[in-house]
Amino acid sequence: MIRTLLSLLPASHRGRVTGYAVLTVGSVLLRAVGVVLLVPLVEALFSTTPRDALPWVAALTAATAAGWFVDSRAARVGYDLGFATLDGAQHDIADRLTRVPLGWFTSRNTATARQAIASTGPDLVGLFAYQISPLAQAVLLPVTIGLALLPIAWPLGLAALAGVPVLLGALWASGRITRRADRVAADANSALTERIVEFARTQQALRAARRVEPARGQTGAALAAQHGATVRLLLLQIPGQLLFGVASQAALLLMAGTTTLLATRGVLDVPEAVALIVVIARYLEPFAVLGDLAPGVETTRTTLGRIRTVLDAPAAAAKGAAAPPTGDSVDVDLRDVVFRYDRSDAPVLDGLRVTFEAGRTTAIVGPSGSGKSTLLALVAGLLDPTEGTVTVGGHDLASLDAESRRGLASVVFQDPYLFEGTIRQNVLAGRPGADDDQLARAMTLARVDELVARLPDGLDTRVGEAGVALSGGERQRVSIARALLKPAPVLLLDEATSALDTENEAAVAAAITHTRQRTRIVVAHRLATIRGADRVLFLEHGRIVEDGPVEALLDSGGRFAEFWRQQHDAAGWRIAEVPAVG
Amino acid sequence: MARGFQGAVMRGFGARDHDAVVVGTERIAPHFLRVRLRSPTLFQDAVAEPTAWLRFWFPDPDGSDTEHQRAYTLTEADEDTGEFAVDIVLHEPAGPASLWARQAEPGQSIQVMSFGSSKFSVPEEPPAGYLLIGDAASTPAINSIIAVIPADVPIELYLEQHHADDPLIPLTDHPRLVLHRFPRSGPESLAAAIEARDWSDWYVWAGPEAGSLKHLRVRLRDEFGFPKSESYQQAYWSHGRAMGKRRGEKESEPAATAAPEAVAPVVPAAEPRSAAVAEAGEPAAAAQTPADRPAKATRGSWQAAAGGRLLRPLRPTLITAGILQGLLALLQLAPFVLLVELARRLLAGDESDRLWTLGSLALSLLGAGTVLEAALLLWLHGVDARFARDLRARLLGKLARLPLGWFTARGSGGVKKVVQDDTLALHYLVTHAVPDAVAAVVAPVAVLAYLFWVDWRLGLVLLVPVLVYIVTTAIMVVQSGAKIHQAQRWAERMNGEAAAYLEGQPVVRVFGGATASSFRSRLDGYIAFLNEWQRPFIGKKTLIDIATRPGTFLWLLTAVGTFLVVDGGLDPVDLLPFLLLGTTFGARLLGIGYGLSGLRDGIVAARRLQNTLEGRELEVRAPAAAHTGTPHGRVVFDRVTFGYRPGVPVIREVSLSLEPGTVTALVGPSGSGKSTLAGLLARFHDVDDGEIRVGGSDIRELSADELYARVGFVFQDAQLVAGTVRENIALAVPDATDADVERAARDAQLHDRIVALPHGYDTVLGQDARLSGGERQRLTIARAILADTPVLILDEATAFADPESEYLVQQALNRLAAGRTVLVIAHRLHTVTGATRIVLLEDGAIAETGTHDQLFAAEGRYRRLWDASPAVAAAVVLEEATR
Repeated sequence: MIRTLLSLLPASHRGRVTGYAVLTVGSVLLRAVGVVLLVPLVEALFSTTPRDALPWVAALTAATAAGWFVDSRAARVGYDLGFATLDGAQHDIADRLTRVPLGWFTSRNTATARQAIASTGPDLVGLFAYQISPLAQAVLLPVTIGLALLPIAWPLGLAALAGVPVLLGALWASGRITRRADRVAADANSALTERIVEFARTQQALRAARRVEPARGQTGAALAAQHGATVRLLLLQIPGQLLFGVASQAALLLMAGTTTLLATRGVLDVPEAVALIVVIARYLEPFAVLGDLAPGVETTRTTLGRIRTVLDAPAAAAKGAAAPPTGDSVDVDLRDVVFRYDRSDAPVLDGLRVTFEAGRTTAIVGPSGSGKSTLLALVAGLLDPTEGTVTVGGHDLASLDAESRRGLASVVFQDPYLFEGTIRQNVLAGRPGADDDQLARAMTLARVDELVARLPDGLDTRVGEAGVALSGGERQRVSIARALLKPAPVLLLDEATSALDTENEAAVAAAITHTRQRTRIVVAHRLATIRGADRVLFLEHGRIVEDGPVEALLDSGGRFAEFWRQQHDAAGWRIAEVPAVG
Repeated sequence: MARGFQGAVMRGFGARDHDAVVVGTERIAPHFLRVRLRSPTLFQDAVAEPTAWLRFWFPDPDGSDTEHQRAYTLTEADEDTGEFAVDIVLHEPAGPASLWARQAEPGQSIQVMSFGSSKFSVPEEPPAGYLLIGDAASTPAINSIIAVIPADVPIELYLEQHHADDPLIPLTDHPRLVLHRFPRSGPESLAAAIEARDWSDWYVWAGPEAGSLKHLRVRLRDEFGFPKSESYQQAYWSHGRAMGKRRGEKESEPAATAAPEAVAPVVPAAEPRSAAVAEAGEPAAAAQTPADRPAKATRGSWQAAAGGRLLRPLRPTLITAGILQGLLALLQLAPFVLLVELARRLLAGDESDRLWTLGSLALSLLGAGTVLEAALLLWLHGVDARFARDLRARLLGKLARLPLGWFTARGSGGVKKVVQDDTLALHYLVTHAVPDAVAAVVAPVAVLAYLFWVDWRLGLVLLVPVLVYIVTTAIMVVQSGAKIHQAQRWAERMNGEAAAYLEGQPVVRVFGGATASSFRSRLDGYIAFLNEWQRPFIGKKTLIDIATRPGTFLWLLTAVGTFLVVDGGLDPVDLLPFLLLGTTFGARLLGIGYGLSGLRDGIVAARRLQNTLEGRELEVRAPAAAHTGTPHGRVVFDRVTFGYRPGVPVIREVSLSLEPGTVTALVGPSGSGKSTLAGLLARFHDVDDGEIRVGGSDIRELSADELYARVGFVFQDAQLVAGTVRENIALAVPDATDADVERAARDAQLHDRIVALPHGYDTVLGQDARLSGGERQRLTIARAILADTPVLILDEATAFADPESEYLVQQALNRLAAGRTVLVIAHRLHTVTGATRIVLLEDGAIAETGTHDQLFAAEGRYRRLWDASPAVAAAVVLEEATR
């Protein structure tokens, strides 16, 4: 936890950590002084001349005021460190995310990264002031008090010092037992309720099948059977909740007993003993503080853990040679490419060997899950092949740096992400230095001109967060214009099935057939798109099963021909009354 | 500037003045003026939300430097430009606000602050209706409320009329608003005007005149039974209260009211602004009250109170547990009291065996406390486990009887929330929340009482840091006001931005820096906001921390204690309890808020659970008459009317008859009631009016099993039960032979896929193998084929992952539909052009019916729908492309 925290601090703030540590220790010492001053003070109060206590009150006042001063300094430095940590963490995360391989973004890692960005702010800001300081002080204060007691009454000082690990141990064990018991209870609860949720989830099916009563009986019986076991498990909760309380009360009794014993033996005089009893109570306070801090610390650990997960994600080194961006179309070569998302998974692409010739359009067709989008991602350099190589214009993508890779391919994604900004800014992202002619041409081809003409603010219309101000089809057109504007030799299109409307249709067709020479690879679902391609690759289970021009494949009557026929039939399908069979 | 005490207090709390410049005025009604202003800084503090209001400082009409504060509801707001508007009721004789408003010219400026505003919001599950009560002064607030109430929630609006022109003030439109206007005849007339009816589950918002509110409050609570949680009441002005005549330091208005300036009353005419005369006018008004007061209304019952009903059987247990926990909290304080006693005896020079008696007493108290705590925990866990078991059994039974529509309305997330999260929250409530709350409250109260008993002077000292804490916290809360709201918005926005940024990573990689820049600048904005919000509070937070820490208490107690010992005759022994117990008093006090939070969550959960358990079930009626001779497959909708909320029909008077062997397609724009109408046939809900007959019997006369033996359905969410493929297909026919199951699977185009699974038909779904969406759909089709019901409801699915699966599902549907009475919910028009009959629904009523060719040729609504449909256009393009 401390390591993560220190690594998040910008170098400029490292020096302040030392200052912060000094202030924290100073604060502990001042508090300890305040506690020890009680001994002469209380002694004086119980003497025949209570007025003697007044100088000690003055001393206590001085120590307390000094403590306030040190603590407010420490709080200020703590907040500074908190803000620096937040700033450092957020920017480190944002940087890291652009270098993490896309394969890392599993749904779980994505969720972690999202939480690391979105929900850590307030936690980190107050981290030093609310957790680190009290935590350090609560541990150090009892030790310091114990040390200070040694010269006054060494048996008591020893007991106090010995009590520190015992009480900390009790606190730790208590937290651990409670957490485990809570987990067991939560598991038991979800095991019980999951069956009810399942029963509720399938009500339509159960009722339609007239199986409600049997299913209810079974679920009820299962619940009853689990009930007994659950109750026994819940008993685990009790020791955790009792342990620390008992330990600290026992410590109090033990130390008070010691003091009394010393007083009755005459080792301590009575007012001193009374003063020490007060000191003992103060010695125990920090442990209770620690107990209260525990849940907060747990939350912080989770937060820092998330940040750690992102910062520890593998990142592509900024290695590799820079290749001169080639503006003209180039060959794309896949050599024995195998791709797995995870080592243990079945390959998504399995030994692909294919060349996409310069300037030609290839349609990739196949059932869902056959690896079409993965193939595009490999050519775009978004994923790295598990085995084999992908070369573009003779350059092995793996040997290029990120900038050169980026120059080689332009992509139209299935789900077109636009960033908050104007339409113009989004289109220009494809080629920041484009002149007006180039911009106008790309927009005409993608039919963005028609869209812009309709909007009151025209090109300066803001697209909203992630483009929500535009419809799905409009977003798609802007993303096509963006891709067309980018002067990359390879153009990749992932055709969306969900956005089946004519506006996209025309724009996609434009993207494929516009005159500029590029190597084009299109993941295609729609017959109109496929028809425009020079060549079709039919992918199934990560392998190419058919390869050739559209007409030739249709004539051969294989998988592609079947796909074509089904697609045709599905589009024309009608539900109609059919006489009973038989 | 003289703003009186109130102004000083608000300033102390950090309320900021903003300069607002008048942009223009618009007379909305003869005595109702909208003033538009601009302030570039106001929205740093203010939040534009329903019923939010601002405080204006108006100059004194008599020319003194006193400023008069009046509050007005925000009626227009643009947070980006800082432009906003308020509506001011002009009246005669005019007070400072009216006077100022009448003379307001563009360019003129005035000071405004946002401080302690209120916000109205509609909860996720809106109440049965909204009862809104007010007059001209609260009309702007009422308008802002009406604007956010969903269209299907009824509103009863009662407006008290004070001026003949009041009806000219425009009200926000709402389809279900019922307006009642009546003149004021005294402070009791408003309360008497509210209809005596059952207001169960309604929410009341009242912003009337203060005197009227006093009587209204009583009626709402005592006669109608509105619970506190379901009502908001606030006086918007005070009748007869001299407003604008007081000046100087004494100027202030009732602190509790956010009172806009008094509206000149209609009755009695030209009311003088002196309180004495206004009171004199009252008897006349009071005379009519008892006689005119309508008969006593029925007290309603509120779902909001349902949590209490669920927990009622536990109440004795929880009370006992609370008492025991209170004892326990005292026991845990006992050692400190014993230490004081020990010191006393030591000082008195007692014999050592008397001291040891004390030691053994302490030990036995410790033992007793531990045993009691363990026993309490054990007992509560036992009670909780039994309660949870019974609750689950009841839930299970209830779920089996709730209408299917209950499940579709909530979705799997909502059902899970009730069943899983809420039972967990209840577990916490029963086993932890009550003891925690009791312990959190009892300990500091007991400590305080004990210490006051020992010495009240030192006891008072304890309250000093507490006061510092309360005041500082209050200042922070006030200053945070808008920021807390903004922080929530920032958190939500960052969550969305982060998700979009992560999702957009491929785009960022391909198109580079420009695409990531907006996220980065937003991130910087967020951090800057946190900085700006939190930094100013560092000092105050540190102050709170320092004030409540033990060291501070110790110093205070010791210092004051020493002086009391020296000069005040305090026995030094009496200082000891303070040094032992008083130092942690601050920490104990802070624990109260924390201890109480668990109770709230649990009570909300209990309410949701109880509402589920009290949900309406489907009843089976006794058959009216035997129906013989009608084919099992004939379906008749007979003037069917249905609505999800009473009075808001979504299906209106639909009559339709479906013959065996025909396909009837329901088409219409989304929201026209297609799915609802089809759901009624499967008895997802019961009709409000009319009836649905299957095979001649009203479906309400059939038991669930009888009904579903006749009516089957295949909807978009394919529900698989835990078990094997075979069990899933044969769900309705458990004793089907292997051959039957296989035939159904073949017909559903699923057999080939099943044999490719690891264990064929015996593959356990979810565990051994996962099916794709299209495959799951085909499995439910196979199930329906085997179930072989004469009537079938189909939902023609819209989106498929890939064309191949779409094709297979279509083939399976062809086979399933054969020879049955089919009702299909069509999302894409071209798929139903071959139906026997197409029924076009609009707003829940049948607009057109006929075959595709007839409707197409008629060039009516169906034709327009067809022409406007992009799916059709796409299909046409596709077909042309493949020709």
